[in-house]
Amino acid sequence: MPTRNRGSRKARGWFALLIVFALVVAACSSSDDSSDTTTPGATDTTAAGGGDPSDVQNPGVFVHAADDEPTTLDPAQVEPGEGGETMILQVYERLLEIAPVGPDLVPSISTEVPTLDNGLISADGLTFTFPIRQDVVFHDGSPLTAQDVKYSWDRVMTMDLPESAADLLNDTVVETRVVDEFTFEVVLQERSASFLRAVVTSMVASVVSEDAVEANGGIVAGEPNEFMSTNMVGTGPYKFVVWNRNENLQFEIFEDYWGTPANLDLRVEIGSDPDVRVLGLRAGNFDMIETDPSFIGDLEGADGVVIYSGGLLLEPIHIGFNLNMPEDELPDEDTISGDFFNDPRIRQAFNYAYDYNAFLEGALGGFGDFNPHYIPIGVFGYDPTAPLYDKQDLAKAEELFRAAGVWDEGFTVSVITEEANLFETAALVLKDSIEGLNPNFTIRVLAVAEAQFDDAHASDPVPYAMWVKNADPFADPDAYLQAYAHPDGEWGVVHGFRNGYQDPDRIAELIDEGAQELDADRRAEIYAELQRLLYEDPMWLITAQEGIANAHRDWVEGFVLNPLWPRPNVKFALFDK
Amino acid sequence: MQIKDYVLRRLMILPILVIGTSIIVFTLTRVGGSPIGIYLSHEMSPAEVVEIEERFHLDEPLPVQYVYWARGVLAGDLGWSGVAAAPVTQVFPQKLAASMELAIASAIVAVTLGIGLGTFAGARRNRLPDHVTRVVSISGASMPLFWFAILLLIVFWVYLGWFPIGRSDPDIFGRIQHPTGLYTVDAIIAGDFGALRDAVWHLVLPAISIGYGATAIIARMMRSSLIEELQEDYVDAARAKGLPERLVLRRHARRNALIPTVTVIGLSFGFLLQGTVVAEIIFRWPGLGRWMADAVLRGDQATIMAYVMFTSILFLFVNLIVDVVYAYLDRRVVLGA
Repeated sequence: MPTRNRGSRKARGWFALLIVFALVVAACSSSDDSSDTTTPGATDTTAAGGGDPSDVQNPGVFVHAADDEPTTLDPAQVEPGEGGETMILQVYERLLEIAPVGPDLVPSISTEVPTLDNGLISADGLTFTFPIRQDVVFHDGSPLTAQDVKYSWDRVMTMDLPESAADLLNDTVVETRVVDEFTFEVVLQERSASFLRAVVTSMVASVVSEDAVEANGGIVAGEPNEFMSTNMVGTGPYKFVVWNRNENLQFEIFEDYWGTPANLDLRVEIGSDPDVRVLGLRAGNFDMIETDPSFIGDLEGADGVVIYSGGLLLEPIHIGFNLNMPEDELPDEDTISGDFFNDPRIRQAFNYAYDYNAFLEGALGGFGDFNPHYIPIGVFGYDPTAPLYDKQDLAKAEELFRAAGVWDEGFTVSVITEEANLFETAALVLKDSIEGLNPNFTIRVLAVAEAQFDDAHASDPVPYAMWVKNADPFADPDAYLQAYAHPDGEWGVVHGFRNGYQDPDRIAELIDEGAQELDADRRAEIYAELQRLLYEDPMWLITAQEGIANAHRDWVEGFVLNPLWPRPNVKFALFDK
Repeated sequence: MQIKDYVLRRLMILPILVIGTSIIVFTLTRVGGSPIGIYLSHEMSPAEVVEIEERFHLDEPLPVQYVYWARGVLAGDLGWSGVAAAPVTQVFPQKLAASMELAIASAIVAVTLGIGLGTFAGARRNRLPDHVTRVVSISGASMPLFWFAILLLIVFWVYLGWFPIGRSDPDIFGRIQHPTGLYTVDAIIAGDFGALRDAVWHLVLPAISIGYGATAIIARMMRSSLIEELQEDYVDAARAKGLPERLVLRRHARRNALIPTVTVIGLSFGFLLQGTVVAEIIFRWPGLGRWMADAVLRGDQATIMAYVMFTSILFLFVNLIVDVVYAYLDRRVVLGA
């Protein structure tokens, strides 16, 4: 049967071809010893690190796999908590920085931290003077002077972009001055205890190159600068190289950096699927990955992977009460009256009814802590002795609901949140807690797309009675209290806090006093008193403060993480491998 | 009707279809909700929202917003992509090139393997090669893409380390120019064979994962089509004339069997281009699919509009090309009839 024989020969040929292909593939993957340094499996026998040196991959470059793409690289446009802040932290510098360990302020572009004692804060507390370091150069080679600092701050205030944190400067600063080539001065609207921590160290106060900006569009009020949104010219240990969208951002060591130079180049891989990030870390292709507690189960016990679980995020997850409800615009299913949450007993009852333990141990996998009020654990002013809602107390909740007159009649209320994340889980725990208390109570969880949630939450008035989200991270208590507790603050007005506080003027008075008090001890006393008042008169239900869970390879040396830095709370220049 | 006249007529109808599609899609996306959310954050105040609305003309009535959008398109401005944080016109060509390159690579995998396997199986009907090919085809058609892709990822990236993920080695990527955005072509233009090898190496896993499903469909179509042709009288006539079986297969049966297969291939390419979403996410491929998945999830309407318009036009052209090729292969087909 010649045909059959020919067929057999062909089949054998195919088989042989497959074997040859496999051998060629294997040979190619193992034979390249010089040009293809990032091919998975490539090794660097000269690299040293915490683990077996022969295992270190991607020698010479630190590879971090991030969650999402930055929306901008411009300090004048970036929002607090947004991915671009991470990049800005690595490339730009500010007058002062927060030290790697602890909350202390350390000099940076300014050679000293202003205090009343060293005379760099005027006696009236309104004028701050910053001596500027003289050996600082931008990545484009131009020297930094006090004029660059003034230009950077004035630029932010003039652009005043709604998506940015420009309000931090505009609400605080009256005037910026160049005293001489290396002395910068700023005059405040009023005494501010939080100015150095909350404003000077924030990403919006980063110093940019005037030459670079003026050569690329200059400053236009109310308009983003496209060049600055996609490029960076700073003074930090890393120099921006390229942003390959949806792929990576690349940075190189800045050789003329005035301080301790970075050890490795940096590549931030962006937009990986979470499972791919985990696999990439396990395979050693990534040195560190963006993580949260949900990753830990996938990484525990993995060879060569270190899980760091110290510290808490400064972004308390909270459930909001609307005290300024447009009754007619609430979802049709809601049965509550427009002043439902104006009664502090209702707000307290919700706080007592919530199953905190279920959220912390379940959704957060135990990574986190209970937090009483809008001063996160880890931020100055947090009082560990203040009373807190951390245990479900159904008897107390029932007592309060009965006293408020809603127990027998019951209610239906909708809570809006983003879908498929921790916020949705927090809302579902609320549903379970409240509905388990009384069958007449109904919580409708409306989990929607992020954009839809942001649109609803930014409305005035907000057309929902409740919502779940987290806070923006700040380094000073005043920013939290102004935004989340002050009856006349940004959210206090929108959400109608004055309709609910038993003594709104006292709350306002204390927050304002704390904002201006330069004596740290007295300031701490004020915040301690505030936390007790806000326990009795809660404007929020804070479910938990999420823990930090970081995963990196064991060959990473010098690992340090500070929750006061933007997520993922690290400065890559400090790392080696 | 002559092919030229037919093509011209179809091209003249094209703008009307595109405008109609744009109005429908624009209206549907806006009815689904304002696109303002993509530009907002949790903490943005109502006053700041108003400023953003003014910047993007979202405070205007819907028809006026459409006019702004259409005017922008005619001026080469497709709007601002909130997901990519860049103008759509700037990002789209890069994403398109990435997806095109992947789709072409997948199509090469699918067409060569599909036609080869289909022919192989069809010519050996109900024999062992046919059964083996059937198993391969069924597994390819029924296996979920994400599962197959993750399987490839785990075996060949994580454990064996043979193939990388992503689109290129950043060091190699940076050393060549990118006039076309197709890295393989750019590497050839640059004469850099290291870059070419790197580009091909990065294509292997995603192209196989995407191409495998289409391979199965094409192979099944080719097989059944070939079996039909081999039973036709003209094949018997060719055999009776003493033509070797190899030539009967190649010169006669296979050519005719390709006619229905070409239709499947044409449509498959459109789906390959669209169907790269999963593979692009899993293999970190910076293409249209991944961008679009993010855009849909986050309500980035400028990006969605651009993508829908692009795919509409693409399918119009693909259908046109398929019709023309069909007519070329089968002389009995009368275009425009």
